[in-house]
Amino acid sequence: MNTRREFLRTGLTLGAAFSLTDMGGLFAADAQSAAPGAGPRPVLVAVRDGDRVAMLDKAIAELGGMGAFVKKGQSVVVKPNIGWDVPPERAANTHPSIVKRLVEMCFEAGAASVSVFDNTCDQWQKCYATSGIGEAAREAGATMVNGKDESLYREVQIPGGRQLKSAKVHGLVLDSDVFINVPVLKHHGGATMSAAMKNLMGVVWDRGFYHSNDLHQTITDFLTLRKPTLNVLDAYHPMVRNGPRGKSADDCIEMRTLLASADIVALDSAATKLLGHPEPGVIGHVRLGDEMGLGVMDLKRVDVRRIKLA
Amino acid sequence: MHSPWWKRARVLVALAMLAGLSAALLDFRGLVPHRLGHALASVQLVPAALGAAAGLTLSVIALLAVLALTLALGRVYCSAICPLGIFQDIVSRLARLVGPKKRFLRHAKPLSWLRYGVLGATLLAVLAGWSGVALALLDPYSNYGRIASDLFRPVGVLLNNGLVGVAEAFGWMWLYRVEPHWAGAGALAVPAVALTVVVVLSAWRGRLYCNTLCPVGTFLGVIARRAAWRIEIDQDACRKCGACLKACKAQCIDLRTGEIDASRCVGCFNCVPVCTDGGIGLAWKWRRGAGKTSAPAASAVTPSDAGRRAFIGASTLALTAAAGVAGVVVAEAGRRRRGQGRGPQDQGIVFGPVCPPGSKSVERFLDVCTACHLCVSACPTGVLRPASLEYGWAGLTKPQMDFSKSFCNFDCNRCGEVCPEGAILPLALAEKKTTQLGVARFRRRMCIVHEAGTACGACAEHCPTGAVHMVPFRDGLTIPQVEPEQCIGCGACEYACPVRPARAIRVEALPVHGRAIVVKDKPAESPAPVDDFPF
Repeated sequence: MNTRREFLRTGLTLGAAFSLTDMGGLFAADAQSAAPGAGPRPVLVAVRDGDRVAMLDKAIAELGGMGAFVKKGQSVVVKPNIGWDVPPERAANTHPSIVKRLVEMCFEAGAASVSVFDNTCDQWQKCYATSGIGEAAREAGATMVNGKDESLYREVQIPGGRQLKSAKVHGLVLDSDVFINVPVLKHHGGATMSAAMKNLMGVVWDRGFYHSNDLHQTITDFLTLRKPTLNVLDAYHPMVRNGPRGKSADDCIEMRTLLASADIVALDSAATKLLGHPEPGVIGHVRLGDEMGLGVMDLKRVDVRRIKLA
Repeated sequence: MHSPWWKRARVLVALAMLAGLSAALLDFRGLVPHRLGHALASVQLVPAALGAAAGLTLSVIALLAVLALTLALGRVYCSAICPLGIFQDIVSRLARLVGPKKRFLRHAKPLSWLRYGVLGATLLAVLAGWSGVALALLDPYSNYGRIASDLFRPVGVLLNNGLVGVAEAFGWMWLYRVEPHWAGAGALAVPAVALTVVVVLSAWRGRLYCNTLCPVGTFLGVIARRAAWRIEIDQDACRKCGACLKACKAQCIDLRTGEIDASRCVGCFNCVPVCTDGGIGLAWKWRRGAGKTSAPAASAVTPSDAGRRAFIGASTLALTAAAGVAGVVVAEAGRRRRGQGRGPQDQGIVFGPVCPPGSKSVERFLDVCTACHLCVSACPTGVLRPASLEYGWAGLTKPQMDFSKSFCNFDCNRCGEVCPEGAILPLALAEKKTTQLGVARFRRRMCIVHEAGTACGACAEHCPTGAVHMVPFRDGLTIPQVEPEQCIGCGACEYACPVRPARAIRVEALPVHGRAIVVKDKPAESPAPVDDFPF
């Protein structure tokens, strides 16, 4: 039942029934990221000083449990950062233990299928293997899907985009009921910071287009097509220089932090602080995300729940 | 020595050899252990000789073993070890199955002027320092390697991709689509011509290719003439029924004289079990004359024989001399060409071609590599592609790093591990990571950041060494900067650069590979408070 073909087909049917933006409204969590001033403040959970899995468990519980995001029988796509052929201690990719636990939680909440993929920078089989994510996700029962197969991407219009008017987007992102974004926090030479918004470059086929057509604007434009249902940021051991690939584990520091929110802009705004930026607005895509009403950058208008586990 | 097991053993070894090598060459998913391909390729004669010259222990052993085997049993190599020979056996067998009528190959006279001419020309070319071209074009293993890697592998990929749809319908996730890597037209022409020649000749006349155009076959034939055991017809038992003749694909059995031409016999042992009278089999012939296996005929040299030999001798000499001179001339032309016009130029900088890590220099690489494409098949990123004329004629089909399509994985040294001939020497991973194949050249005026005033950094993003990094530019933007001494020329930056048609950062090839410096940074410090939330 839970084959790729199967839910591509299901997704097509669903897609015909609802427009993508309307579909987001089906989920309770989405209400939390509503436009500023209109409704409740978005919730951002920030957890410190536990191991990765304990912090994730705590954060999701604080957000109302995975059941708030995943309903029984739904298809889920989990998008970690698996961009590089480097081992977990280099922290260029999301840590496999976080991906594994997320997949388990989705199944516990009744997900019919969980798929994991990334349009990697290094060769995808090597990235999936060396990052440890391939094995970890499969152990938890997820399907690792090829992110380097162009035939799995579909050209879609992005009417809300300023620079990115259309893109080839992975079918899993277009068709899955639930879209979970699980990036790792990193310094980024080009975009200054790579967190939740930047991680979504890995769901489109042509990353080169982003780079040559105003990187920050195109990153932001994608969110007008589909915002993740939930974002979880791995900031346990973030890379603070030489990003996004890094040269060695010396580029990373121990921070033991994890952020979770349905509001991608709020989450990235907090992430800029973790990397020591004085103002979130210095990161172009965070500022644009707020400006285009895709989330809340001003943390004063966010319900930040700070939790220390030790 | 009339046991049917000679043939059975030969067939078993041959099938295992062809299957193993083909698996390594066709492998587009990295499923075949790379040591298998390396081991099976290392026992091939030309790679073994080249590898031995490069000081690879396995190659020395393999070379001695192949020579000893030939001195013992004749050209068994051609039937059990050479993939091109085994492939031809399959083609001729299929041709007989689908052919219009049951026919068999008669005994034929050797085309000695041709085979010794090719061998002589090859040896002269090697002496003239032109082994890189002669061996690349004529080595049977390398020809099979190119046919399998450049022609069969992409076809395999297309079949795989067709099956993915079916597998998906059944929910099987172990099949996935792969991009078929077709070589450029120039590079593809070489295996296409080789495949055509080999298929036509083997379908028409069995091992004609091996006994005329293949210098390895002819060379081993010279040794096989003096082999310790040779196939012999027992004149007392033979009824001249012709069963052995029908089984022979080398056309080397002359029933009228009872002679078997040991220099052309490929040691397949097909003739042994078909004889119901035990009339043909291996016999101890050590130090009993060369080439002739039948005593009565050995002494009978007729005047016409003498004339023919003189003619063959003279024509061979003339042909080899001509080929040798031609070889030297072409070699010199090639050297000049290599010195000057390497690769495409862009704004006065010579960018390509870049040869793989472990090959040391373009010149050495072109001299040693016979373009078997085992590395092309083994390269996990597909950055190694057969060159058309990027290296010049001397480098036709030899692998080059194509950064327009991919880049060299930092944590990979696979090409050196599989190369059977030392053209790409094996490098420890730590050494490979500092081996400088070229240096990235950044053209600031072409860069997106400079041109459009928007952020990019795709090149620095992909750089594994930190040689390409971002430095402050105007309006809070950052722009790439290259530290040439830290660059290894892996091409990740060139691959990632979104600027077209010409990219804003490209790798300038180093004709002789260098050594990059590793700058060790101090452990990073936290940019934010470490014990509390900074928000």
